[in-house]
Amino acid sequence: MSLRLYDYELDENGYKVRLALGALGLDCETVAVDMVPGAEQTRSPLIDLNPLGTLPILVDGGTVLREAEAILAYLARRYDPAGTWLPQEPAAFGETLMWLAFATRELHAASLARRAALFDHPGDGPELESRSRAAFRAMEDHIVLRGLSGAGWFAGTGPTIADLALFPAFALSRDFGIDHEAYPGLRRWSRRVRGLPGFRTMPGIPDYH
Amino acid sequence: MDEPDGWYAVALGADIEPSTSAGTRLFGHELVVWRDAAGAVHVWEDRCPHRGMRLSFGFVRGDHIACLYHGWRYDAAGQCRFIPAHPDLAVSPMIRTRTFPCRERAGLIWVRWGSPADDAPEAAPDEAAPVSPLRSLYLDAPAARLAAALGGTGSDGLARLDLAGSPVLVAVQPLAAAASAAHIVVPAAPEAPTADLARLAAACITLRRTIEGAAP
Repeated sequence: MSLRLYDYELDENGYKVRLALGALGLDCETVAVDMVPGAEQTRSPLIDLNPLGTLPILVDGGTVLREAEAILAYLARRYDPAGTWLPQEPAAFGETLMWLAFATRELHAASLARRAALFDHPGDGPELESRSRAAFRAMEDHIVLRGLSGAGWFAGTGPTIADLALFPAFALSRDFGIDHEAYPGLRRWSRRVRGLPGFRTMPGIPDYH
Repeated sequence: MDEPDGWYAVALGADIEPSTSAGTRLFGHELVVWRDAAGAVHVWEDRCPHRGMRLSFGFVRGDHIACLYHGWRYDAAGQCRFIPAHPDLAVSPMIRTRTFPCRERAGLIWVRWGSPADDAPEAAPDEAAPVSPLRSLYLDAPAARLAAALGGTGSDGLARLDLAGSPVLVAVQPLAAAASAAHIVVPAAPEAPTADLARLAAACITLRRTIEGAAP
């Protein structure tokens, strides 16, 4: 096994993959990419690995993957045969994929809001903030409902890659000015995520809590 | 905005777990609500006197809360007791943060704001009456509109609401001019069937939509 991750320390999508590597207890060689301000991922040789010019990129032997959510699904299927992180049971599998889609679509606004706040990327601040709040509210409603029926995670009966894909946007929301005040359910859920074996922090997510 | 003296609920007790903290607001003033390892709750101004960092970003150890910036530690009375950069220093009694009287009742954490004439909420619900926490609902709507939709609150600070056919108790928290929270508990045994709570939680979402959509 020789996993290699092309990553940028401050990128929340790369962080999703780091969370999965930690949860699965996998060793991985990390190649630091100058994404900001260098945009190194848009030039050769990285553009030859991923023609879309995005990060992260995972290389595992002959397999080359982009898109954090796809990488999470791959890692789970490849290295977690028990199906803990990507459940086999159809309903839990469907729910996991539903929230992975949410992480790429609804939470994209949070990603753009953070880039605008931290990296001066162009973006309509108020519009992105309002869409991010709407996404966090949908997550809060779901996790509260789950909590009342005795479940602590987004899909299935235990933590899945959906939780790992959803965690960074919420945990980093103060980077773009959204406090956790209105999300007590997510606050408690993020504490559970932090307690997972192999959990790692990143800049913006305190070591202490 | 108007800041009437009184007791205000700022969280469901169950949402502030031992050794955790959370930031909130009352009339736009930032507060930290935290619970120490022994289970006692504290409500303070959410500001470290050192550099103004929000203490709700910090961490609880035992019966102290520490600031995330430089680790200054405050005891349950709001007095700074330890400064990691100066471990041998006897910390000045001047270094303290503003604390507010608070208490837990009816499954909620209440803070006293100003000097209310009566030290309410004293009345019902009975301290011993069991409640189940339902949820805190955060609304993009002024507290007055929320309170009006609930039909007004009793002298104990709680509104009685029929939610999808079940009685619930609601406390209104004015967060800021256009934001409020409804802390909702169900007067029932803690072992109430969960399906019922889930049904009520769904009704909460409808309630929020109605209030936020109502004309100001």
